Amino acid sequence: MAFSIVVLVKQTPDLNAIRVDKSTGKALLGDQLVMSSADAIAVEAALQLKEAHGGEVTVVTAGPASARDVVQRSLAMGADRGIHVQCDSIGELDTLAAARLLSDAVRGFSFDLLFAGQNSDDYESGQVGAQVAELLGLPQVSWVTGIEVAGDELRFERDTEDGKQGVVASTPLVVLTADGLNEPRYPSLKGIMAAKKKPIDAVVPINVPAAAGISWSEPLAPSKTSSGVIIQDKPAAEAVAELVDWLKTNKLV
Amino acid sequence: MPSGILIVTETLEGALRPASLELVTAAVGLAQPVTALVPGAGVASAAQDVATAGVARVLVADADRLNSFTTDAFATAVEAAIKAADPAVVLFAGTTSGRDLAPRIAARFNAPLAANAVGLRLDGAALIATRPVLGGRVQTDVRLEGQLVMASIGPGAFERASVGGAPATIEALDVDFSSIPERVRVTGVATVDAGGGATLANAEVIVAGGRGLKEPGNFALVEALASQLGGAVAASRAVVDAGWRPHQEQIGQTGKTVAPKLYIAIGISGAVQHNVGMQGSDHIVAINRDPDAPIFKLASFGIVGDLFEVVPELTKQLGG
Repeated sequence: MAFSIVVLVKQTPDLNAIRVDKSTGKALLGDQLVMSSADAIAVEAALQLKEAHGGEVTVVTAGPASARDVVQRSLAMGADRGIHVQCDSIGELDTLAAARLLSDAVRGFSFDLLFAGQNSDDYESGQVGAQVAELLGLPQVSWVTGIEVAGDELRFERDTEDGKQGVVASTPLVVLTADGLNEPRYPSLKGIMAAKKKPIDAVVPINVPAAAGISWSEPLAPSKTSSGVIIQDKPAAEAVAELVDWLKTNKLV
Repeated sequence: MPSGILIVTETLEGALRPASLELVTAAVGLAQPVTALVPGAGVASAAQDVATAGVARVLVADADRLNSFTTDAFATAVEAAIKAADPAVVLFAGTTSGRDLAPRIAARFNAPLAANAVGLRLDGAALIATRPVLGGRVQTDVRLEGQLVMASIGPGAFERASVGGAPATIEALDVDFSSIPERVRVTGVATVDAGGGATLANAEVIVAGGRGLKEPGNFALVEALASQLGGAVAASRAVVDAGWRPHQEQIGQTGKTVAPKLYIAIGISGAVQHNVGMQGSDHIVAINRDPDAPIFKLASFGIVGDLFEVVPELTKQLGG
């Protein structure tokens, strides 16, 4: 059973490069832009299915000119073609508006599986994938940490508070990938060269949906409230005795 | 005119999840009246519990289709509850199910939604949800306005409401599943034994180990302390990536978010991506050799010292 797969990917700032300005409390984003980590897992999952069962992988992103890079990277990993929905104002859209933009972009395709990362590294809402599923009228399987093809169906393992939930579903389906599903590959030199010949369609949306009833403030560091006890330069037995007293005072043991 | 708050509670094996009582606190502190939806199969006693936790009304959707979580069936129940209660605000728990349902329902009702709120307040007719972003070091205030707005709350961000108060009215909510095909079927749940038998999400005590333990075998120190305290074992990303511990024990941005009564971090420096997963804990104890380790900024009690001396001593003193 070959799969026609769409993967939604997002470009985000590199979280490792974020610093907080101590005087203003504002987040200072580095210049480095990367593919959101859960989306890279989604691309890898799609490629593994394609390699095992045949099919085609189309990667879709929405964003400004720079966002083409994450499509290019997906193609270098092995995806077949890309779609770049051009949207300079993507940062002003809430998740529902972004989901409308993306679902409009893929609505005309006939795909078996639509993959997306469980949540993005930057705003971590974890909403776009499920909202695309709702707008397209498709079922969703979230927090996916395992995928297996079983005849005409797919078996998934989901990460939940109570352990690993197993579910079975048929296509078409939206799959939201979580950390632990796989280890995304690095593009090979050969892959990078091959990607240059693969098509990326630039799509200019007719309507860019706007955020409705929702706005947000510039992120700021919360004021520190820590007033903890720190024991230093004391023998272990003595320091531990103080800790045990503290645990007892706070009724923790 | 929509008014009041609907909270979508969750149960596990017929009992309320602690996150559901955190939802009660978040809602009751915001506006009245609060209606609690209790979806599930065989959830009468959970409904009775939440009815005594401070809400005004309980809607029980008790159906076989709600025996284990699937998006379609639970979304159908929530949709029915919204139509029955006509709330101005819907609040979800920040659990995997809550985070799965909330965006789906928000899209269905064309409602603005904020995820993982650690603070909620009203500003005139707007709901302001404070939520951590960009790895958790900074927060944004999300302003939600309209006839119907929604949010999920961060695990551990609100205290658990106590049960045992004056009981609210309990009503059965009829949910028609006849037109809802079973597009995703649950085959089972493999419970994870996270040391001491306690799963991380429900553990009151968590003992977490990091790279400071130097080698995988030294996790025995963490396990011994966890066992002494009746708690669960967790790990930092560094040691999970190194293959010392399974991924289900990982705390942090790419792992679990926990908020136990007591979190003991051993040999964990406290990288941001770890801290976002545990900073909601009631009491944080840090044991680390490096006095400048960021974990000490979060710690309610810290010991700067050699964990190979401190941890066995702690296990010994607690045992005596």
